[in-house]
Amino acid sequence: MKRYILIRLLESLAAIFVITVLVFALTHMSGSPVDALLPQDATQEQIDALVSAWGLDQSLPRQYLSFLGNALQGDFGDSLKWRGYSAMGVVADRLPQTLYLGGIAVAISVVVALPLGVMAAMRKGGKLDKAAQLFSLFGQSIPQFWFAILLIWFFAVALQLLPTSGSGSWQHVILPAIAMAWFQIAALSRLTRSAMLEVLDAEYVKLARVKGVSETRVVWVHALRNAAVVPLTYFGVLAGSVLTGSVTIETVFSWPGLGWVAIEAIRARDFPVVQAVVVIFALIYIVCNFLVDILNAYIDPRVRA
Amino acid sequence: MRHPFINRFAAQSASTLTSHIRKRAKAAGKTLLMSSAAAVMALQAAAQDVTVVIDPIASESNLYWETEGAFMLPSLQGLVGNNPETGKYDTSGLAESWKANEDLTSWTFTLKPQAEFHDGWGPVTAEDVVHSFNLHIGDDSRLSGIGNLRDATVTAVDAQTVRFDLPAPQADFLFMLAGRGVLAIYSKAQFDAEGLEGYKTKPAGTSPLVYESSELGQGMTFSTAQDHWSGVDADYDTLSIRFVGEAATKLAMLLSHEADIVSLSRELQPQALDAGFEILASTQGASQTSMVFGALYTDPEGGELPTGLPWADVRVREAMNRALDRSQLLEVLYDGRAEALPVFTMDAQYEGYTPALADRFDADYGYDPERAMALLAEAGYPDAFGDPVIPIIVTSLPGNPEFPLISELAQAYFEAVGLQTEMREMDGASILSARRDRNAPWIMPVRNAPIRPAQVGLQVYFSKVNRPTAYVDDAQINSVFDELAASTDMAERDALASQIFTKLYDDYTHMPLAKIFAEVTVDPDTITGWTFPGSTSSGLSHFELIKTAE
Repeated sequence: MKRYILIRLLESLAAIFVITVLVFALTHMSGSPVDALLPQDATQEQIDALVSAWGLDQSLPRQYLSFLGNALQGDFGDSLKWRGYSAMGVVADRLPQTLYLGGIAVAISVVVALPLGVMAAMRKGGKLDKAAQLFSLFGQSIPQFWFAILLIWFFAVALQLLPTSGSGSWQHVILPAIAMAWFQIAALSRLTRSAMLEVLDAEYVKLARVKGVSETRVVWVHALRNAAVVPLTYFGVLAGSVLTGSVTIETVFSWPGLGWVAIEAIRARDFPVVQAVVVIFALIYIVCNFLVDILNAYIDPRVRA
Repeated sequence: MRHPFINRFAAQSASTLTSHIRKRAKAAGKTLLMSSAAAVMALQAAAQDVTVVIDPIASESNLYWETEGAFMLPSLQGLVGNNPETGKYDTSGLAESWKANEDLTSWTFTLKPQAEFHDGWGPVTAEDVVHSFNLHIGDDSRLSGIGNLRDATVTAVDAQTVRFDLPAPQADFLFMLAGRGVLAIYSKAQFDAEGLEGYKTKPAGTSPLVYESSELGQGMTFSTAQDHWSGVDADYDTLSIRFVGEAATKLAMLLSHEADIVSLSRELQPQALDAGFEILASTQGASQTSMVFGALYTDPEGGELPTGLPWADVRVREAMNRALDRSQLLEVLYDGRAEALPVFTMDAQYEGYTPALADRFDADYGYDPERAMALLAEAGYPDAFGDPVIPIIVTSLPGNPEFPLISELAQAYFEAVGLQTEMREMDGASILSARRDRNAPWIMPVRNAPIRPAQVGLQVYFSKVNRPTAYVDDAQINSVFDELAASTDMAERDALASQIFTKLYDDYTHMPLAKIFAEVTVDPDTITGWTFPGSTSSGLSHFELIKTAE
């Protein structure tokens, strides 16, 4: 197990390194921030001052090394768009909002998708199963931003039950969390259903039934515990989806999280913030997958073999 | 449903009427009935909160000089103001008067003695102006146009008098200090006590709106000053300005009555109008739109001249202009709420305006595809050109939502007369980068440019001063521009600017499209009027003049 963890840790570190190279290269390939930040009538003095202040006059390898060294200390430089804030300051300021929204979305996903998947499997071919499959089909087919706008239109504009956008109260989080959870519910319920169908046919489940164990206990304890490996594995993907989904959802709902920051920083060519956001997104994604791998290995010894 | 212009007229009339009633009420202050009515009105209006939704601003900071100057906090003021009706410079800023010496190199401003900063930071003095000036010209300044002030010397003559000495004449100096200004006045007393942190947290302003708070990327809140020293009191309690980028969300905020005033893209305005909301427009034109021929360089002084561009031939340029059906374009792009523009950067508000060009516009630039095809044939297009394909840039810039559509429509018109085109997608920063490298050989819509004095506009787009990013670099224009910049005789300046505009027009140096107004969509249940001249970069200003329903 220790060896497995060590190997996964090294792989994660390598992934982080590659990501830093990619992030640095891609942001610089898209052009100089000078052109995004200074007006077209900027004087040469203004241009020179900005170039010098941001070290843009140094060679790219030198800029990368400087970036990497600082990044290791959590220093991605100062934001070019949100003046007076460090890039990491912007990220740290907004990350809790994304985690809050993402956490609620994941909670909704789990609370809805697991029972739905289990019950669909128990009633295979029945009305509930068909309804769950239809739900999954729509959930995975409808673009997130479009669904988000539909939610706003129905609940905020037509019914005026909830706010359209922004943050500040518990009402504000409902629509973006549902919009974000929608896709996850569809995916997770399908996975749970198929995993449960497989397990419910297993010999040990039949044995439990023969032994007179109640159906509720058979399904929710014996079967679900074994079927849980598949949805658990999906959790790594789920974390990534929540983060990437936050970019769309936070923009539509004007939710002040990291996804919104990412879009605004990209628009403004705010290199330091873009780099900080992507690295933080990558770190969260890698850590989640690392934990899922460890959990998988813990649950299923075949994985670490 | 009323036409939006009628709405605007009605709103302005209501605003004017309200203002008139107030003036009368003041004059007849002894009249109990009027006073009581005014008191009741004031009480009724006292509990109003106004929410304005705009696009996220390019760079956010309470330190104005660290931004490009696209949005000045409504709590801050410059020395000079703009009249909300006419857009002309007026004394609604911090200076009560000003005078310039004969050669326009020295400008002296007398500050209003009653002007004072919010939160008890004391009266506005000449020292505050000098202090603010020094902050604005620092190395970290990113303000558009600050180059015009960098070499100035500012002296506090006495507590109420401040003098700007310039190295060269600046006929448009007031423009630098007015609505679209480059100098916001901050409190030196606050700086001495709290440093920049004080400004970052809660900068003391001077306007009828008092800065309260802001949330990163989300917006800002202002309260209204009671018994403001200027005599202008907003008729609402708080102003929230929210930044929302997604157009559909902005529309939803309006329809759900979460927002009172929304800067809504033109494509979504019809939906709001259908739902009973109204459009308010600036009293004056706010910006101009044009398509430009990239790299129209003919002055060898500017560097290597491009070769082989089809539009280097004036006949091709005229053909492209005549290929455009402008009336249809304006209808599609602006729902007809725009005015034809004869020359980009020329406006009747400023010097050099040449009515003859507007009169001749239909004859010289009118939609005439047959004439366009004849001109192209005369020019030998396409065979006479090594690469006859004309690249058209498709881009999206904040505040310019119609750009992609302009490019697509232009392509359709051009191809209809036989021009070969190709669309190229580029972001705004890459375009600017290419222009800085003097490598922008393409056709594109130019950023919706705020209407500015002739010299300022010409300098940015059509003069050697703004090499290498100017669109036109022509020896004759450059020469006349030098004379314009040096001239302090107003009649002569007018003639020189007119000469440049005429040359730009006669040479078909660009494809002028429209003069447009800044527009907001409002909830008539809560907002009855807002008079603003469209003279700032964002087009919005005079927030204190928003009139709320009673």
